[in-house]
Amino acid sequence: MTDQQWNNLLAIIRGETLDARPSGFVIDCPWLPNWYGVNILDYFSNDEIWLEANLKAIREFPDTLFLPGFWSEFGMCTEPSAFGARCSFPANEFPHAHKVIHSAEEIDSLEVPNPATDGLLPLVLNRLRLAEPKIKAAGHEIRFAVARGPLNIASYLMGSTEFLMAMMMTPDRAHRLMRVITDFLNAWIDLQMKTFPTIDGIFLLDDIIGFIGDTEFRTFGLPYFKELYDKDVSVKFLHNDAPCRVSAPYLPEIGVNLFNMGFEVNLNELKEVTGNRVTMLGNIPPRDVLASATPDEVEQATRALVESLDDPSRVIFSCGGGMPPGVSSENVQAFLRGLK
Amino acid sequence: MSELMDKICLCIERGKVDKKAPYPPDMMNQDGADEYAREAIKAGESPDNILAACNTAMERIGDKFSRNEVFVPELLMAARAMNGVMEHLKPFFQAGNIKTKGTFVLGTVAGDLHDIGKNLVSMVVEGNGWKVVDLGVDVKTDKFLKAIEEHPGCAVGLSALLTTTMANMAATVKRIKELHADTVVIVGGAPLSHKAAKEMGADGYAANPQETVRILNSLVG
Ligand code: B12
Repeated sequence: MTDQQWNNLLAIIRGETLDARPSGFVIDCPWLPNWYGVNILDYFSNDEIWLEANLKAIREFPDTLFLPGFWSEFGMCTEPSAFGARCSFPANEFPHAHKVIHSAEEIDSLEVPNPATDGLLPLVLNRLRLAEPKIKAAGHEIRFAVARGPLNIASYLMGSTEFLMAMMMTPDRAHRLMRVITDFLNAWIDLQMKTFPTIDGIFLLDDIIGFIGDTEFRTFGLPYFKELYDKDVSVKFLHNDAPCRVSAPYLPEIGVNLFNMGFEVNLNELKEVTGNRVTMLGNIPPRDVLASATPDEVEQATRALVESLDDPSRVIFSCGGGMPPGVSSENVQAFLRGLK
Repeated sequence: MSELMDKICLCIERGKVDKKAPYPPDMMNQDGADEYAREAIKAGESPDNILAACNTAMERIGDKFSRNEVFVPELLMAARAMNGVMEHLKPFFQAGNIKTKGTFVLGTVAGDLHDIGKNLVSMVVEGNGWKVVDLGVDVKTDKFLKAIEEHPGCAVGLSALLTTTMANMAATVKRIKELHADTVVIVGGAPLSHKAAKEMGADGYAANPQETVRILNSLVG
């Protein structure tokens, strides 16, 4: 993000209204390689291609906020790789990590990885470090420390079913797992912040919070998220595009001030349950509208979203979830027209 | 329903697996589905009645889930408790005293790791009296083919959550149909539709577990 964009983002979060309706998208491997015209493996293994794809996005849509912006990642393999997970990278499909914990007992011997040396993390950081001069030359800065959230990582390490069951059957072990992951995440976020002093935001992505009820969220989510966001940064950004009715009321308590939700939830309702203290990044349907509809339909859906809002403050128009595969430039432009 | 059946039903609905299970906290140190199932069999309760209690419990928890009164972990615990009861019924299945409605081989297709929806389908189908063989995530075509050979007459369910892996799904459906034309293939997952299912040559599409059960039950009349 440029300084101007960052200042705009901070102003929106403070509740100020800008001259033009703001737009923003979470962009990463599901969208960028395909949109830029390269296969997914090339995007991951060639830093120039990764950088150029990101630069093309900011040049083609200079008025849109891309979050986190120049996201150095290896899809869902990024954090699990540090724990020793086998990572699969099919040539033109999305990478994924395999389990490392095969029973709740194995949690006892899990160690906190070192983000400076383990798995793909040094590559993630170094790619960004090498690209930083060019990012700056384009007028942008690295603004966010980024990581998958603790429940998300836990469900990778164990499997989602196994982890959700561990919460119920072996709660002490589930807490130990959350402890190890949270310690790791704190170190990973701190390392990113230390490497790039321009960072003034934290971005965590965790869909698994969408699948648990209030008791489990308060037990296994809330304390760990509060700890992770308890850092001196201006923007505390969370993505959860699975259901969020249970967790949303807690966002202000966690400290989150920017939220990317799923498309099924109504923004007016979300603003109400959060007391309009959280800026909403959403929420036209990503796959079924932004990616698959015609430009006219995208424009209409965007207009309908704008008109549906009781209060347009603290809203950045986007899709509900990250930018999905297959969204054309025409459809992004149609979205932006819909905001005019 | 007899008192024991009520207890089995309640334990499954509440996800109380056995006496030592710490969940749910308010049933700590009480007998669970495992103990009551053992007692019921000892008391000569008919396996069919026990199976019916399982179905009722899974239906009740499923309804609560649709009303957002419980969430995925509670559902998983109910399924776990039901599986404990099923263990006691195994000898009756093996002896042919009671029958499953059939076998449903299920998996998330190659390249795709989304499994929460698939797991819900698995639990509900199982709770409805089907044997479910869950192959997990990122399941390559060969693994589906092997399972079909191991379970003659089974129906197959494929799940995909990514538009990109729908292509892998189509390839798997095609291969299954080439080699096992009579095997019924049902597809599901958020990006799927009746139209997409038809185009890839699948026999059916279901948007949720209940519809899946309806299709499967229609196969066995
Ligand atoms: C949770 C989630 C994840 C979790 C998955 C955890 C897990 N173990 O499953 C995590 C975080 C790991 C994840 C990863 C990714 N995800 Co994801 N994810 C989601 C999310 C938020 C919810 C999916 C879900 O579980 N829904 C709840 C269940 C209950 O619903 P369901 O799956 O549709 O299942 C129901 C029915 O479809 C049906 N059904 C399901 N299966 C079957 C099978 C049969 C046989 C039948 C009959 C019926 C049936 O019954 C179920 C119950 O009603 C969706 C967005 C959304 N809101 O839908 C994105 C989404 C699916 N993900 C998406 C993406 C892009 C990814 C990644 C590629 C992201 C990345 N940066 O790498 C990776 C995938 C990597 C890979 N190789 O697979 C995109 C896909 C876009 C597209 N066009 O394909 C989505 C749509 C989000 C978006 N931005 O649009 N994701």
